[in-house]
Amino acid sequence: MRTAIRTYELSKRYRRVSALTECTVTVPEGRVSALIGPNGAGKTTLLRMLAGLASPTGGTASVLGGTPRQDPAFLAEIGFLAQEIPLYRRFTAEDHIRIGGHMNPRWDASLARTRLAEMRIPLEQRMGTLSGGQLAQVALALTLAKRPRLLLLDEPVAALDPLARRNFLVTLTSAVADAGGDLTVVLSSHLVTDLERVCDHLILLAGSRVQLCGDIDTLLAEHKVLVGPREDTAPIERTHTVVQTVAAARLSTWLVRLDGQVSDPAYQAEDVGFEELVLAYLGAHEASAGKDLTTIGEDS
Amino acid sequence: MTWLVWRQYRAQAATVFALLAVFAAVTLVGGFKVASHWHSMLVACSGHSACLQQQPPLVSGTVVDALLVLGLIVPAGLGTLWGAPLVGHELESRTTDFAWAQSVTRMRWLAVKVGWLLLAAAACGGAISALVTWWSGPNNALQANAFLPGQFDIQGIVPVGYAVFAVALGIAAGTVARRTLPAIAVALGGFVALRLVIADFLRPHYTAAVTTYYNVTGSFTPPGSAWLFSQGAVSRTGQVVLAGWGDLYPALPAACRTLLPASAGQTPKSFSMNAVFSCMQSHGWRGFATYQPASRYWTFQGIETGIYVLLAAALIAATFVIVRRRDA
Repeated sequence: MRTAIRTYELSKRYRRVSALTECTVTVPEGRVSALIGPNGAGKTTLLRMLAGLASPTGGTASVLGGTPRQDPAFLAEIGFLAQEIPLYRRFTAEDHIRIGGHMNPRWDASLARTRLAEMRIPLEQRMGTLSGGQLAQVALALTLAKRPRLLLLDEPVAALDPLARRNFLVTLTSAVADAGGDLTVVLSSHLVTDLERVCDHLILLAGSRVQLCGDIDTLLAEHKVLVGPREDTAPIERTHTVVQTVAAARLSTWLVRLDGQVSDPAYQAEDVGFEELVLAYLGAHEASAGKDLTTIGEDS
Repeated sequence: MTWLVWRQYRAQAATVFALLAVFAAVTLVGGFKVASHWHSMLVACSGHSACLQQQPPLVSGTVVDALLVLGLIVPAGLGTLWGAPLVGHELESRTTDFAWAQSVTRMRWLAVKVGWLLLAAAACGGAISALVTWWSGPNNALQANAFLPGQFDIQGIVPVGYAVFAVALGIAAGTVARRTLPAIAVALGGFVALRLVIADFLRPHYTAAVTTYYNVTGSFTPPGSAWLFSQGAVSRTGQVVLAGWGDLYPALPAACRTLLPASAGQTPKSFSMNAVFSCMQSHGWRGFATYQPASRYWTFQGIETGIYVLLAAALIAATFVIVRRRDA
């Protein structure tokens, strides 16, 4: 299986602030990857570096076999859609379609027109007069008309109502299906349930670092929720990695990354859901970040 | 890529073209009137300049006279309307995220946009200047004032330099500010300030001025549309008295002083300025005139245009560096 994205300790610093720290991820070709993380975790920074719009201050990135760069051949392979849905407000969809035709080698104008017609979005109306959902659909149709091999979508559904969001994701999944494994997608969003529906791969960022990266099925199989006697955590921590501990009156639950089998009959192992897994990692990161803050406070 | 520029600017291009057409029509109609008036004056006076000077004014009060101000305003207008938003507005409205996500590098995107807009600005400046220069021909011949501020700045090739510079300044300001409004302020203020500084302090010194000495009893006028800086008399020891003769009295040798009234109350019986001049000449005084000769007109036009074009090139180069280094 070929890799669409492979980064090694990719980092980006803006003056003294680190936006992304030693990010090492791999996304195989054909995956739809969910990029999840709190605000400021580095999602946008990662996507822009993969798109060749920003340059890293450390580490390396390989995208579709090459380094992201300002080069027409590379740019032609990437479909990038920024968070703000950047379209010319005074131009119509038809204007954008024609501009795209002049700026891209593999432009599929009829694809864009057909998609927009299916959704009854007027081609001759200015962008400024369309709804947020329609704007997002136009932007996605334009990005797909470029016939990219890698689609990088930065929170495209964040501002949309539930119906518009569903329509957007339907368009996205049908585009992925049409491409038959040739299209890789990285989609960032805060809406975990949406992502669970369309994605089969996960990159989880928090505090500018990668917390988790891999195929969702594999990740879910690797993690279990253990329920057992409260006082005795040592046997678990000896063999497995504890992500999160919830202590109750007599029983405790641990979300653990397995290393081998859970053999101790004192513990009951349960499967983990996608949202549960994501929240456990985000929560664990927040807790450790909080601890760091306290330590700093005590030192000074 | 060119199509994107055309789509973005076609409405403005149409407006500018229409305005230029109106300006051309008005200038042509007025210009032919001025030309025929001038021709009849030449016939009536058969070329004697004294006679020509006594004719009624050639151009003042005509509509076109007012329109000439356009030559001064247009570059600033282009700088704010075309230059400032070129990169500034795209960064502000984040449409760079659309443009730069196509299969065109940032550098090419910038090169094509900047190239077309500078070309359009140069064409605008050139077209207006061509009309104004043609229209001003008779007036320049009569007034011999082609070097004067207000004449020099709206004729020849300098308006092309102004237009190109103003647009380049707007582009660079928009790229740095990443917003249109501050860029407009910088483009406008910067352009006006530089124009004033260069016209007032730099332009007179493009080449060393020529000083011609002549008999103080005679007179001298630099030929053609020369730019006269100062004229007066200079003594053997280098003491200068400027034309107007306001401070002549204390500077004069005692022998000549008696020929002049010491104050308003005492008038010598036979006061003659010619006698004073003769006396001055016998004491070694000479008349002088310091000026830029008319023959240097195109040298000055070339130097001034060169300055603005070079500054524009530096601003555009800086813009490219900033856009290249910028993380979108």
